[in-house]
Amino acid sequence: MDLLNQTLLLLWKDLLLELRRRESLLTMFFFGTLLLFVFHFSFDFAPDKVAEMAPALLWLAFLFTGTLGLTQLFQVERENHCLDALLLSPLDRGALFLAKTFFNLLLMLLVELVVMPLFWILFNLQGWNLLPQLFLVTLLGTVGFCVLGTMMSAVTLRARARELLLPLVLFPLMIPVILATIRCMETIMRAGDLGDAWSWLRLLLGFDVIFVTVGILIFDRVIED
Amino acid sequence: MRLIIDRLSKAYGFLWALRDLSVALESGDLVALLGPNGAGKTTLLKILAGLIAPTTGSICFDGNPQKTSVPRARTGLLMPADHLYDNLTIRENLRFFLSLYRQSSDSHIIDSALKDVALFERSAEFVGNLSSGMRCRLSIAKWRLLQPDLLLLDEPYGVLDGSGIDLLEEFLQQQIQNGGIVVIASHHVSRALKLCSRALILKKGRLTFNEAKQQPWPSFDHAFGEFLPHGERWIS
Repeated sequence: MDLLNQTLLLLWKDLLLELRRRESLLTMFFFGTLLLFVFHFSFDFAPDKVAEMAPALLWLAFLFTGTLGLTQLFQVERENHCLDALLLSPLDRGALFLAKTFFNLLLMLLVELVVMPLFWILFNLQGWNLLPQLFLVTLLGTVGFCVLGTMMSAVTLRARARELLLPLVLFPLMIPVILATIRCMETIMRAGDLGDAWSWLRLLLGFDVIFVTVGILIFDRVIED
Repeated sequence: MRLIIDRLSKAYGFLWALRDLSVALESGDLVALLGPNGAGKTTLLKILAGLIAPTTGSICFDGNPQKTSVPRARTGLLMPADHLYDNLTIRENLRFFLSLYRQSSDSHIIDSALKDVALFERSAEFVGNLSSGMRCRLSIAKWRLLQPDLLLLDEPYGVLDGSGIDLLEEFLQQQIQNGGIVVIASHHVSRALKLCSRALILKKGRLTFNEAKQQPWPSFDHAFGEFLPHGERWIS
């Protein structure tokens, strides 16, 4: 209960600060939209290639946009050494991990809610009825991205070139999530339902559960000196 | 209440910031931590606060190792202009930190603390708009509300005006009367000495002086004299 209360308190603080600064969400939103337009002018899908290409391109946009958000994730804590103030307190470090993960997840989901339909419109794709299922898969993939991204942001927090280092450390570790999400989405777009995608979906779920648990357990060692 | 520092050392790469430091502090001690720039004062405060880990040695606060949750809830670190969120208001900052320490964040408690530090009228302002002195006053209000048993202060005098210093010193006296331990790292020697019950002098990471206050204090005058600018003399 204490973990939940502390997580909510930190999340409230982060949302309030984001509402006032409007830095991360606006940057992510514009960057995500910009990428879609670049893809739109660069690629022309043949109808039989849509199922293969669309999920990969969409996730490329999410990855770049999400990484942009991750580089700003601990920025408010870096200013005025506020991270020290948090670490000085009796705060459960797991709560800090959960709050940062939820905050990043919320920003990414807001961006994805706009970017996904826009992608469908720009590429004139069929199958609008598949969007809820695709969004469910994207949600699981995004959870995995945010969990691992928060961990790696904390790992690179004290590094000198952290903005450059973060994607180098994060992307290789993200391969199972990216692969599973893209394969799931591809199956849904081909077959019209989850069908054969269950094994990939289980992999995604397993990844999310394992890394959320590991994150809560080891975040104190990651974030402290 | 006892704070026992045993053979504490901290290395940054090949540089020893602290070497073999051992001190025992008791409830009611107000310690002036003195020494030239780079002597290791801030490093010692950060280790005592549990923010950085020592390379060797240990700290025991009332029987608990320092990097556990019990000492965390009872340790305060006052850095004059730091540890506050610029884009939260004065009131929101206090409410946030009170909740973080699981203490009541009722409006009347916050109002009263802000009145004490003359910030009540500005309670809806963002901390980012405050001067360093005002931020320091807010930090004082914060730690007055949180009531830590071990209070560490890093150069608190530099940004405060006269009434701010009075406010700070009144708060520190209160802490001592309540049985707390206070450690002040400062270059304002006369102010720190006026309040303290013990002085520690660090030089290149080593503890070169550790004595309870006396009046007069020739051993301190001798130990501290070498840090004064050329041609000046120090008489406590």
